[in-house]
Amino acid sequence: MISPTIKIAPSRFPNEISEIEVIRDLSKCINCGTCAKVCPFGVHERKTGYNRVSKPLSYFCIGSSCEDKPFYCVNHCPRKALSLDISSEYRTIGDYRWTRDLIIGTWKQAETGIPLKGRRYEIGNSGGGFDRISFNFPENEGNRGNNSQLTTHKLEDTDISTEIDLNKREGTKISIRVPFYGGGMSFGSISLSVMLAKAKAARAWGTFTCTGEGGYPEALEEYDDNVITQVATGLFGVMEDTIQRVKIVELKYAQGAKPGLGGHLLGDKVTPEVARMREAISGSSLFSPFPFHSVYSVEDHKKHLDWIKELNPDAIVSVKVSTPTDVDMVAVGSYYAGANIIHLDGGYGGTGAAPDIAKKNIAMPIEYAIPKVHEFLKQEGIRDTMTIIASGGIRTAHDALKAIALGADGVVIGTAELVALGCVRCGNCESGRGCPRGIATTDPELSEAVNVVWGAQRLINLYAAWQGEIVDVLKRFGMMSIKELVGRYDCLIENCEITQD
Amino acid sequence: MPKKYNVEVTLTPPRYIPIGKFEIERGEDCINCGRCAIVCIYEVHKRQDEDLRCMAEPVAYRCKGCFCCIQECPRAALSIKENEEYSRLGDSYWTPEIISTNWYQAETGKIPVSGAGYRGPFSGEGFDSMWTDMSEIVRPTRDGIHGREYISTAVDVGRKLPAIKFDSQGLIASPIPPTLNIPVPIIFDRLPFGGFENVYEAMAKAASYLGTFMIVDAEEWFKGVGRKEMGDGRMAKGERSHLIPYITQPTLHGFDVDWIKTCKMVELEYDEVVLSAINEVKRINPKTIISVRVPFGDNVEELVEELTYAGVEVIHLYADLNGQTFGKSLFIKDMTQNVHRHLVEHKIRDEVTLIVSGGIAMAEHVAKVILCGADLTAIDLPLLFALECRYCKECREVLSCPVELKDVNPQWGTQRIINIIGAWRNQLLEILGAMGLREVRRLRGEVRRAIFFDDIEKETFDNVFVWGGVIR
Repeated sequence: MISPTIKIAPSRFPNEISEIEVIRDLSKCINCGTCAKVCPFGVHERKTGYNRVSKPLSYFCIGSSCEDKPFYCVNHCPRKALSLDISSEYRTIGDYRWTRDLIIGTWKQAETGIPLKGRRYEIGNSGGGFDRISFNFPENEGNRGNNSQLTTHKLEDTDISTEIDLNKREGTKISIRVPFYGGGMSFGSISLSVMLAKAKAARAWGTFTCTGEGGYPEALEEYDDNVITQVATGLFGVMEDTIQRVKIVELKYAQGAKPGLGGHLLGDKVTPEVARMREAISGSSLFSPFPFHSVYSVEDHKKHLDWIKELNPDAIVSVKVSTPTDVDMVAVGSYYAGANIIHLDGGYGGTGAAPDIAKKNIAMPIEYAIPKVHEFLKQEGIRDTMTIIASGGIRTAHDALKAIALGADGVVIGTAELVALGCVRCGNCESGRGCPRGIATTDPELSEAVNVVWGAQRLINLYAAWQGEIVDVLKRFGMMSIKELVGRYDCLIENCEITQD
Repeated sequence: MPKKYNVEVTLTPPRYIPIGKFEIERGEDCINCGRCAIVCIYEVHKRQDEDLRCMAEPVAYRCKGCFCCIQECPRAALSIKENEEYSRLGDSYWTPEIISTNWYQAETGKIPVSGAGYRGPFSGEGFDSMWTDMSEIVRPTRDGIHGREYISTAVDVGRKLPAIKFDSQGLIASPIPPTLNIPVPIIFDRLPFGGFENVYEAMAKAASYLGTFMIVDAEEWFKGVGRKEMGDGRMAKGERSHLIPYITQPTLHGFDVDWIKTCKMVELEYDEVVLSAINEVKRINPKTIISVRVPFGDNVEELVEELTYAGVEVIHLYADLNGQTFGKSLFIKDMTQNVHRHLVEHKIRDEVTLIVSGGIAMAEHVAKVILCGADLTAIDLPLLFALECRYCKECREVLSCPVELKDVNPQWGTQRIINIIGAWRNQLLEILGAMGLREVRRLRGEVRRAIFFDDIEKETFDNVFVWGGVIR
């Protein structure tokens, strides 16, 4: 497989948030410039023509691992004016689900395309679900087959496939080269540049991105083969043409972050352009209804799928649902209605705007829903003809692998992509002009912050890091394909160790 | 169909500068270039009014933690940290998040909405160890929140007969016990502190507007604030009828009989002779509904059963401020389920109304405690939060209140309380709509529509982790 080119895509901010802060005590520093001479990473600099040494660029500092190096600035400073500390920004950023290390780690991977090793970059601090699961690697890591068998051989990275099939039923065969694709984020909830960056990255990696419920901007048409059209309860921007031009259509019944509630786009974010795309009036809040008022049974549900297949017989259909107690019945119902993909969106999923009460309380986390549906479809004898896609809290490649081992075929990611583009998860996407960091906004001035080419490169890099990590884990398990990992509970182990502080 | 119930909310700003989550510090390296003022969309950074060449001190309470100014400053002169005053708010049960989200709701009357996924722990203690269900495709759902389908939040308080007898003429022969229809499953409980005249006035006026009720300590009320209130006519008759006097046995004798005659409901503290006290009150006012206030303690199930068989109409089970029961310290979520299940097993659940209180801190707790088997709840601290209380507990040490609760303007306070109940009710509608329920009465005891952490964790992972060991 030829992977897309990885290019370093540094942060778009002059001051990247770093774990370590290099502190220069100005009352002691004599601006001798020794630190600038010794540091090989460019933390200290004395610009030509300046008498003073610049403020340390802490982001480049390698931290305490520098202590025993011959070029450790703290030791070299003749006046003992330098010291290292944990930065206050690092202490402040992040939350239980997306810890400071997961955010910063995702940024680094989006910058370099190289997987980051270490537990703090692999699991969060929520104390449950994926954060309490570890991999149960075999003793003879990296070998294909059992020790006792003669067939044992060392696997190479190139032996390992991360490709998955999205359609296991009759009809168009579609496979993606990585076991993940981009989640639905509407034009309106995010800017056009972010949508295009996602589409570009999806094309580069041979996977998909999804329109969300907000229409199909013309600029996206170039990426038709890598776009999923979402049909959600408000039917905003859905037209015959938008269904006919794509390979996959997603019927969104519910969203994990706000199960049982329709989409929310508050009035401030409905700019004239967004309103045009949604065939609505600018400035008015757009609340999608819940549920589809035409669907109250599996028969009605089938009618919807038939309608899509009538319009576009070549398309495969994904049904995106939330995770109620009877999610297994919903999945089976969707199968009999003719769906190709059942997309489970767990309760802790992302959103551009949702009531806090819904995000926290309604419907079960994805970690429970995956095995529930996987087992039930097996019992019903239809597991091999239905694709299970999981989302709602997939933050890292490790989460994706765990979801697959729990019984999913692949995953959908959303927040991780936005973090790659510089999101700090401050959670202010919904109000006023939208995202202050220019991602989840359609404000013309703010959305200039994300350049399409840069954004696409960040995502390409992140995907590369994830793919690299997935290959690495599969290799350690002695697996040649991600498909071998599906439902392999024996690869998982409960980890009760208390995570981070 | 009865008139739709609606709570009118109005923006009612706080009296004091709110306590923000973040603190922003401007370092000495600042060159007053103004970049921060451009990138901040929340107006944290501004130039000084008196000297436009210099940047003003950051208005940190407006900061929403986007880190833009920090990252954009050409001299890296700005730093951010969590505001200690914020993280010190409340305690481990009444967290800063709970307090500040209640402030927001009292101010705006709106449901808290935010972007990005849930930020908290996977699960937790008490109410955080359960999720509520939702409906999709194969079950009918309700679109309640925007009023597209009417969802009722009304509850009936009092005894409901299991069956009605008719005489030979076809007329109802059974004596029908009085019931009280309350449009929201939330009444106001006695306050643990902060019971100033103005606070009570605001609560009573809000209760009257909302059509709900407010439990007041009869002795305190009668001797102090209440008499004065009623004396100088600050409280209208209509508002007075929304009070539930709480009476302990010793005060019952010589108590204002005229007041009891006008009360729709009276609450008595439980003791061995409570049944004779009930008779005494019923003799004075047969139409009044009597609630017996019972502490959640060990073996409370048997006591509730006994009282129900003895004819008690309403039982108010109360835990401590943090929702912990007395005796073996259990949480109200579990104890409510035990009591409910016990009554169901004895087939007497509908004969008694259960009010549960203690630790009801957020709208979700109302829904969850009803799911566990309560008919309605009583709240305390959130009413004080509506009036900007910071739960600093200084008043308990006879120190001065930082938000001067005693000087609260009652009109302002009334609207703040109406706002918070309006927002809570809308959140209850979200939960009910998602579950496909058309009225809150249907939610009671529907434990199969809840997902309990312990159960689902076992059900899911016992199967998954059957293979390997456990890392501890």
